[in-house]
Amino acid sequence: MSKTSQISNNEKFNVSLVFFIITTCQVGVGIHGFQRLITQQAKQDAWISVILSFLFAHIAVFFMVKTLQLYQTKDLYEIHEDLYGKYVGTLFNFLYIFYYAFAFFVVLRNYIEVIVTWVFPGLSQGFIGITILLTVIYAFTGGFRVLVGIAFFSFFSIIWIPFLLWFPLEFAHYNHLSPVLATDLASIVKGAYTMTFTIVGFEILYFIYPFIKERKKAEKFAHLGLLATLLLYLFIMLVSIVYFSEKQLERTIWATLTLFSVVRLPFIERVEIITICIWLVILLPNLCFFMWAAYRGASRIIKIKPRAFLSIFFVIMYVGILLVQSRYQINHMNNFFSQWAFIIVFIYPFLLYIFAKTKKSIKNRVKNH
Amino acid sequence: MNRKKVFILLLSVTLFLFGCAQTRILERISLVTLVGYDQDQEDNVKATAVIRQINPNYESSIETQSETEHTSKGARTKLDMRTAKQLMIGQLRVVLFGEELAKSGLDEAIHTLMMNSEISTSTYLAVVEGETKPMIEYKYETITDIGQYLYNLLKHNIEQQQSISSTLHEVVRDKYSPYREFAMPLLKKEGEHIQINGVAFFNNGKMVGRLPADDIYYVVLLSDSFKHGTLELEIPSDNIVSKSKQSGNLQIAVDSIETDRRFDLVSVKPAQFDISINMKCRLLEIDSNVPIGNHQVIKKVEKAMSKKMEEEINRIFKYSQQVNSDIFGFGEVYKSHLSESELKNVKWNELYPDIKAKIQVNVDIIRNGTFE
Amino acid sequence: MFGMNKKKQQTKITEQKKQQTDNLPQDFTISSSNEKFIQHIKQKIHSPSDLICKVISDEIRIIYLTHLVDGKSLKEDILKTLEGQDDWTPRTIFEKLPIPEMESSSNFKTCIQEILKGGVLIHVEGFSEVVIAKITTYQTRSLTAPENESQVVGSQIGFNESLPTNVSIVRRYITNPNLCNEQFTIGKHTNTSLSLLYIHGIASEDQVNTVRQRIQDLDINDLIDSANLAELIEDSSSSIFPQLLLTERPDRFCDGLLSGKLGIVVNGSSMAIVSPYSFFEFFQSREDQNLRWPIGTFVRLLRFIAIFIAIFATPMYVATLTFHYDVIPQPLIIPLSESRAIVPFPPVMEALLMELTIELLREAGARLPTKVGQTIGIVGGIVLGTAAVDAGLTSNVLIIIMALSALASFTTPNYVMGNSIRVVRFPIMIFAGFWGYYGLMLAFCIILIHLLRQSSLGAPYLAPFYPPRWKDWPNSIIRLPLPLIKRQPTNTAREESNNALINRSGGLRGEKVKE
Repeated sequence: MSKTSQISNNEKFNVSLVFFIITTCQVGVGIHGFQRLITQQAKQDAWISVILSFLFAHIAVFFMVKTLQLYQTKDLYEIHEDLYGKYVGTLFNFLYIFYYAFAFFVVLRNYIEVIVTWVFPGLSQGFIGITILLTVIYAFTGGFRVLVGIAFFSFFSIIWIPFLLWFPLEFAHYNHLSPVLATDLASIVKGAYTMTFTIVGFEILYFIYPFIKERKKAEKFAHLGLLATLLLYLFIMLVSIVYFSEKQLERTIWATLTLFSVVRLPFIERVEIITICIWLVILLPNLCFFMWAAYRGASRIIKIKPRAFLSIFFVIMYVGILLVQSRYQINHMNNFFSQWAFIIVFIYPFLLYIFAKTKKSIKNRVKNH
Repeated sequence: MNRKKVFILLLSVTLFLFGCAQTRILERISLVTLVGYDQDQEDNVKATAVIRQINPNYESSIETQSETEHTSKGARTKLDMRTAKQLMIGQLRVVLFGEELAKSGLDEAIHTLMMNSEISTSTYLAVVEGETKPMIEYKYETITDIGQYLYNLLKHNIEQQQSISSTLHEVVRDKYSPYREFAMPLLKKEGEHIQINGVAFFNNGKMVGRLPADDIYYVVLLSDSFKHGTLELEIPSDNIVSKSKQSGNLQIAVDSIETDRRFDLVSVKPAQFDISINMKCRLLEIDSNVPIGNHQVIKKVEKAMSKKMEEEINRIFKYSQQVNSDIFGFGEVYKSHLSESELKNVKWNELYPDIKAKIQVNVDIIRNGTFE
Repeated sequence: MFGMNKKKQQTKITEQKKQQTDNLPQDFTISSSNEKFIQHIKQKIHSPSDLICKVISDEIRIIYLTHLVDGKSLKEDILKTLEGQDDWTPRTIFEKLPIPEMESSSNFKTCIQEILKGGVLIHVEGFSEVVIAKITTYQTRSLTAPENESQVVGSQIGFNESLPTNVSIVRRYITNPNLCNEQFTIGKHTNTSLSLLYIHGIASEDQVNTVRQRIQDLDINDLIDSANLAELIEDSSSSIFPQLLLTERPDRFCDGLLSGKLGIVVNGSSMAIVSPYSFFEFFQSREDQNLRWPIGTFVRLLRFIAIFIAIFATPMYVATLTFHYDVIPQPLIIPLSESRAIVPFPPVMEALLMELTIELLREAGARLPTKVGQTIGIVGGIVLGTAAVDAGLTSNVLIIIMALSALASFTTPNYVMGNSIRVVRFPIMIFAGFWGYYGLMLAFCIILIHLLRQSSLGAPYLAPFYPPRWKDWPNSIIRLPLPLIKRQPTNTAREESNNALINRSGGLRGEKVKE
């Protein structure tokens, strides 16, 4: 038997918080401009792509939970070692660590890009990076409970988004939505595929699962969390379609932020500047959980102390920020990430489940004989 | 403890290493509130800006500057060299275009405005009859700050739907839509005043035509879901006032309460539309001889009004076809009925002048004041 | 009755013995000789000039510190009784003296303790047992209205500096056999006594044990005020937010006890400690409960808004004027920029300067006698403010914003928390002055994380919001009508999901309490 890391009762959290963690880990930087890529594929039916992508996500979550239920108290890293043996399992774990570090970087870099473009053209990227990294590290050192708490409070900084998006509806042209289903299925599926970048984050379930108090209910809340994100994305997508003209949407880089810029409150102009800054709170759970997941893996493979891990992580991220400078590089990075994420998030859980299931049943049969 | 020390040290190091962002302290910058662009020789653009500065006497002074350059940014740099404080365009409220420039195309100008994240997307755009420079630089007797004046002028007229709305984001939307064109209010300097003098029609980013101020009402009515606004009409008086003393026309003013506009695509080939407008309104002014207590008479007035409005709208629709500028969104309705493949060969631009439309206006007078 | 009392006292003595063993020297026995005993005592406490030894008869000596005992009781109860009869033994003295609080001890250290606390030692020749008559009296402040936590509707009584008085007030509020009172004496030099109060059956056993443990583990020389004790026993003393409530209101204190919290009263301090206390509870006042519930709700929400105004108003001003001029709506931009036209500093300097001035005023006002304090307020507030604007050192818009945020910060019903709120503004202001709204949000995140990391006596600091105890939400956000309050907050429940029922409509509280 492989060793199972002990999780103290104190670190466990209430099952209803799974909802908040899933939602806040999904909502990140992708939401700023996901409309563009999808409309390029699915045109006015982009909203169907959104729904479709969430359908896939629900299926993926279903398999994730099934796999986790086979192993109960283990997270994915432990499952890998158990399933593939020490060496191959470690290899897979490395992939996941790298994935999470990459995800962390993608979120961080994209946010920096937004800040630099909209709010502070003169502010050094390295500086923003360092301040965010230090904040995340401060949260990380507080323990797992703090991370979950951040996810919880961050959810309340997401809630206002739909309310703010009522304002652009004043300029809506609802006939942008029709004809429904005029684009061919292939484009809609392609659109759903491009949603990957925006939708990922829920695979954190693989790692938080052992920390949940009543695991039986976890699946329900995970699906609810997905549903909440779906409603948010769907609403944003619909507003974007009726507000923007098609060609304009295809050229708007951060459509959601542009939508915010239409909002005019009597006491505030340029609402988008404020929302971009508030986005920091929305991003925080993304960053914290990605970092935490990477740390879980790293500490499992090599017995690394948190401080050593944080220092290395910090340096890598900082160097990364300095290296990736232009918009072209960022786009390239995002594309690469979403291709990879698609395999890890949507395809792999299915394969893993089948593999785990067959292995278990073979084991059982051997035992029985 | 050690870890905390390292953390604090690291934090303060970053604070001092990277210093701070470039400050834009409110009173130490000059705010550009209005920019006018004119066509100059050889493709150059002449920019005239209204710059608000704060002087130590707690007053804000208004200054106008103009400069010629290829790009608007270039013009801004040149202007910067002539102002005491750094120029900032985050408070830009109105952008004006000279007629000549508008006729030669605004694509580049609008694209530049949209790209710049400093500029609010709620900025109003408008076309000026003649050149913008004389209008901006003129010392008006009653207007102290022309930037603010024009902003308020456009804002309240657009809010009350006495002018078509042309914020930057709306113009950009229509500009990038292949099935729609945009329009802008047309401003004119009239002695000591500036007034909205009509609507400028655009086709493919170029100004192609205009309608006078009297027609704005119908343009707004047709282009948008019109909510409220006052309409003055002249309807033939026969049939309504039987013992008419002065034969001929009857002046009437109504205030619309609720309006509903629909475009229905009746046939695709050839493209044919049904335009139906339902308007509920309140009677504001009518000749005292008209017995408005009489239901029959009101019906007749409604009918006459509908007929008159149909004529007017038809005229405006025909005009927009004539200049080939679909600012009303027929194209979008057309598109929303066709699938992607069917649209492949459609060039709405070429189609629009030949579409047919049947206009039907239905006026309902539901309130008529406190005195019959 | 008497026997029972004695038994109780006996156990108390052993308890004290246990605690004080290491505080005191080795010698425990009492000499049976009068002279030797007096000599020992004198030696031990360095024969102070206020030590009186009286010879009653050949056998009986009484020893006390003159300023600490009640002279009248000494004369009429002790001296008269003792002189009226011969052949006393400690036992008869103990039984016959008309003193309510007495103790019989054969422990020398206890004698020292008690004489220092104002006991009268009665020693009979030939017995190695001493009767201690506790007729302590010292001047205490009469019970006055709490000055720092005043409220309009509600009781107007505050704790004073005497431990017995304070405990008696609490007992008067909560007449309940389950009200437990555990006494401790801590501080090697001061020997300060303190009481840990809680209601058995409502308070969580774990938390009682934790506090007891923490108090017993304290190894300190002196303890002057309860605030010091709070700092010593709270979870994280490096945080700028208080985790334990210091209150001088008995009603707030008892409210805490009744909802399962623990209270600590320290002798010599008019502030009692209530724990655990969550962040949001600091912003609730007892008065909310005394007002009609819609009004109580309104006031409570007002206070929540006030926190945000207090913390973010000035930093918002700084950030907006330094970086985000484009956020200002058009009608505001002229008044704002004109008011700052000749201010020579950047907004962050301006704001820091003025906030510092306000803090100076507050501090000066707090230190000075009331009448002078008022003058300072007027001089500082009006003269300084107007002059600063006239001289062009600050803008009048900032003065308004600052006054507003100062006002908002004083609505916090707890002075300690109010101070934290005011202090936390300064770093936020600096962040805002350097990096605008981004800095502001960064500071907000750091504070949020900081709050999430805190705990009060092991209970989460941000409860009931995080971890979400949905059922506790209504009464935390709004002030529920009393009949609707049915549960004890989870934060202090004995076990999670096993909250004691609270029934306020029927008049009985704590139904689940074991009899």
